[in-house]
Amino acid sequence: MTDQRTPGMSTVPQTAPVLTDSTSLAVEMDPVEYTLRKRLPRKLPKRRNDVYVNMKTDFRAQLARCQKLLEGGGHREICVHGLGLAINRAINIALQLQASSQGVLQLAANTSTVELVDDLEPEDPDEASEPMTRTRNNSAIHIKVFYPDPQ
Amino acid sequence: MKMSAAKVKMRGKKMRNQPSSVQYVESSTQNGGGGDEGPSSIHPSTKRPTNTNQRGGWVRGHQKDGGGYSREMPKYITAGAFARARAAEVNTMLKAVTKTTGSCHVFGALPKHMRRRAMSHNTKRLPCRLREVANRMREKSLQAGPKKKKEQAKSKSRKARRRHGNLLMEFNRRQRKNVWLETHIWHAKRFHMVKKWGYCLGNRPTYKCYRSCHRAMSSHCLLQDLSYYCCIELQGEENKLLASLSELTSKETGPTFAAALCLSGRRQGSVVVYRAGQYPAQPLGPVTFLWRPRSQDLTNRQLWIWAHPTIKQDLLLELQKVCQCCDAVVHPVVTPAEVFPSLQLEPKPEKNSDGKKITKTKRKLKFKDANGPPAKKVLGDGTRSPNIPVTWKSSSKGIVINDLTMEIVRYRLIGPQSCSVLAETMEAATVCNEINESKPSLWWPEQCRSKNKMNLHQQQTHVFNILKGIFSTGELPSGTVLGLTVDDPRLTLPTKKVKALPCVKHAQEVDEERRELILQGVPELCCQSNLWEQSVRNNVTDNKTSEQELNRMRNEVLVPGSRLSLTPPQGRVPILLVQQPGKQVGNEMSSWGAGWDLLLPKGWGMAFWVPLVYRGVRIGGLNMGVKHSQNKGAPHFPHDYPDCPSGVRFQEEQEAELLAKFKRRPPAKRTNYIKHGCLAPFGCPWQQLSEEWELISREGGEEGRRDCQSTAEADAVMEEMTSCGEIAETKPLSRFIVLRNRKSLRLLSGWCRPTTSKGQKSCRVGELPPLDSSAMTGFLTAHRMSLVWVRLSLLCKGKPELHAMVCVPTAEDLKLLKKKRGSCGPQEPLHRDYFKSRVRRRKKEPKKAAESSWCSDNTQGKESVFSSEPNSITTVDPKSSSSDIILGLWPDPLPSITSHCSRVTLGWVTQGDFSLSAGCGEALGFISVTALLKTLFNQPMEHRGVFLLRNPTSLHYRFAKINIEV
Repeated sequence: MTDQRTPGMSTVPQTAPVLTDSTSLAVEMDPVEYTLRKRLPRKLPKRRNDVYVNMKTDFRAQLARCQKLLEGGGHREICVHGLGLAINRAINIALQLQASSQGVLQLAANTSTVELVDDLEPEDPDEASEPMTRTRNNSAIHIKVFYPDPQ
Repeated sequence: MKMSAAKVKMRGKKMRNQPSSVQYVESSTQNGGGGDEGPSSIHPSTKRPTNTNQRGGWVRGHQKDGGGYSREMPKYITAGAFARARAAEVNTMLKAVTKTTGSCHVFGALPKHMRRRAMSHNTKRLPCRLREVANRMREKSLQAGPKKKKEQAKSKSRKARRRHGNLLMEFNRRQRKNVWLETHIWHAKRFHMVKKWGYCLGNRPTYKCYRSCHRAMSSHCLLQDLSYYCCIELQGEENKLLASLSELTSKETGPTFAAALCLSGRRQGSVVVYRAGQYPAQPLGPVTFLWRPRSQDLTNRQLWIWAHPTIKQDLLLELQKVCQCCDAVVHPVVTPAEVFPSLQLEPKPEKNSDGKKITKTKRKLKFKDANGPPAKKVLGDGTRSPNIPVTWKSSSKGIVINDLTMEIVRYRLIGPQSCSVLAETMEAATVCNEINESKPSLWWPEQCRSKNKMNLHQQQTHVFNILKGIFSTGELPSGTVLGLTVDDPRLTLPTKKVKALPCVKHAQEVDEERRELILQGVPELCCQSNLWEQSVRNNVTDNKTSEQELNRMRNEVLVPGSRLSLTPPQGRVPILLVQQPGKQVGNEMSSWGAGWDLLLPKGWGMAFWVPLVYRGVRIGGLNMGVKHSQNKGAPHFPHDYPDCPSGVRFQEEQEAELLAKFKRRPPAKRTNYIKHGCLAPFGCPWQQLSEEWELISREGGEEGRRDCQSTAEADAVMEEMTSCGEIAETKPLSRFIVLRNRKSLRLLSGWCRPTTSKGQKSCRVGELPPLDSSAMTGFLTAHRMSLVWVRLSLLCKGKPELHAMVCVPTAEDLKLLKKKRGSCGPQEPLHRDYFKSRVRRRKKEPKKAAESSWCSDNTQGKESVFSSEPNSITTVDPKSSSSDIILGLWPDPLPSITSHCSRVTLGWVTQGDFSLSAGCGEALGFISVTALLKTLFNQPMEHRGVFLLRNPTSLHYRFAKINIEV
């Protein structure tokens, strides 16, 4: 299953001041080292014709998967979702699908913003009172690839 | 002519019905001339020789000692005697032909193609002519049969045995040695059970489910019974507790007991415990801990430490030491044995008696049981005798240690949808306002009167309802705790197994609250639970509605099969939900295998287990637990802690087990590990490995590779050193340690050039000091004799196995890899087995002394050759007696490990398999820090972190990328 995975949960030691929208006390403190830990993006129930594109799986495999859904799977439309870095790839897949169908398929793209959550864990756990959580936004794209109605 | 005993017996059986001798009886003294030597009229004996080793009756083939033949031909034959002798022979022959040999079954007379299945059972399957005889024989055997059986079966009838009381007695007897979990019988019907750590645990299911269990872990939910984990409760003032506990841990390894979030009770923490003040040496093992949230009416803090049963005793001793709790409190706390006084009565007579006595006492016991109290189900730890203290108190610090083993049931749900499973299974307790005078002691109605507590309950219910809308468990902050009171889940048991699916609603205000929960976690107030109270726990356990009662209630429902509407007042259970973080280390698959732990009061295990199973979860055993941590990239407790006492014990056991398995194979079918150049296929000599690398690094890193290869010399030096003990240069080599310092690990990880699992893409690393010689020496002096936990993922084919070797690729190997990315990797040339000849010789001359001339050739013993010529003898100790040599295994004093093969060895794999989540072979293991740094230093930047892996049963090296995940 090509579920959406954020490509990389880096444990990069960052130095505060990290501006958090929840707490402002980090500003006063000495630079404490934090470990950044990204949480998974929020998941939603998935239909059979939803394809979440990621950067880990081979591009051709993901393209083949979409083609299979459209041709063999009997779906009139599929949805290709991409988040962050994978937006580019999602667009590529959609365009490839359209090109290979000789223009029969049509595309309808939607963009959205996804809220992601990061945990900041202090290196020295006893000094800082609270590990911090911050949210940041990332763009996402949802492309509907469909056969237009015959009428 | 030797015959084995079994052969003789078989032969005797065959010849039973045969005429004893074919020889003609010379009745008279008719010794006609020289006719005595004729083949027919040889010895006048008619008796069959009694000695079975001699020939009797028919003998096939030509016999060595001449058999019955004489050397010379007779000169003349008396016609009459000769004819008579032949006649006798013919007679016996005819007789022998009519009689069947072999079994006495009638159908023995039938040719093979006419025999049918179950002929002896159903005589109608025989041809008519034989039926009568067969019937007669059958009757005979039936008469003989039951007599014998009656003597054997001394037990009661099955019906009597299965009677409830007797069954319970039997169960209680059987779990005296190895404790049963509450789900034992459920598991025993479906799992291969193993006796481990004093418990009976399900190892793996009897049905095939490896892949489906993995699927459950990664997309639905897998359930495990972890009740065998031991809980130790500490009570006392916060600062005193923290001061005592700080001796056991170190801040360098990450958050300790004092971490702010854990201390507030909102999160569960985990920590590696060391012996008091011994860090970084002498670790005990990992534990998880949970603080009870502060509340107004309690000044003392309460802390639960959950530990594996193998470290419980050590941990208890250490805790008693640091808390100065030496006085055991005998009575005050209710031990499980006191809850059920009848329990003490019945096992006592047998407790200390050995096997013989048990049979005698059984009679007595039965007699006593007939009018004594009925057997009660053991809840909690049944094996513990009531004399063993479970509580210790310190007079100076005011800390109380309480051993709560088996008092709390712990289930683990792994997988993204464990949230929905929990939400579907349980419902927050309904308020119970009626005041029942007949049962005044129930805890829930009393709680319902207090307004504060009801407020809290409503808040908790609210949080629980929000949880229902969360799709995946990994979205929550790791280690979140939620206390709750729920209704008896048996009441809402579906009639059929259903698969729990999440229901995500889109509503504005719900979304807001959900966001709050995801960001902030559960508020501190809601982490409180009544499960912390011993009195409530006991109350709940004692007043549990029995299954029988529930069934009666179901019977009385008007519409059959409909839900029970009214919850009985005793059907409320306090529980604790603890989020279990999934994969936290590394760059990919983050929070894989996250889930919830469900803590219940004892006695309620099955009441929650079955409803959970009915929600379509998979059940995993011990081996799924191993796979879970393997996919998470985390060390699994007794397996991957070679520096802890229980880890050492585990490795010894594993080694013995693997060796026994190896020995069970026929010698010709065993792998010859010597030829494969594998010195330790069954265990990992970590100590020797780290010592060797320590010596290599000490001899000066300037010479680099050349140096690595001359470890054999180093080995010799080392042996001298250990024998004389006078090398003054440095302090004596200590025991190896496993590196757990977070900062150092992060540094190492950065130097390894972390990539994604198959090594396609490198990941971002923050600012790091470059790996140069000064940084390296600095690091090495800080961490000598240490091992580091690494994850290796294979670049192309191959499946790593247990105890595979991690090796350094040579420059040519790396060139090969550069040329062709998918290249398979080099081969190890076949080694020669010098011990084979010894084993063979020993077989030939079993009595000769073990010291052979072969060995005396090199009496120096320590002949060592560089690894550039792999087919060479390495150190052979002349004193090693050949008695313990097993073909294909190195005898005990191992030669230099690092330089034995053509590629230098760095360490071994302790868990290796094809990883279904990464889609390639993945291995987890330890390598020496010194070795790692030296290798990385010498490797070019583009190939940094590429190593070789080789299975013990194979000669093929495979390329693998190393990753240290922090």
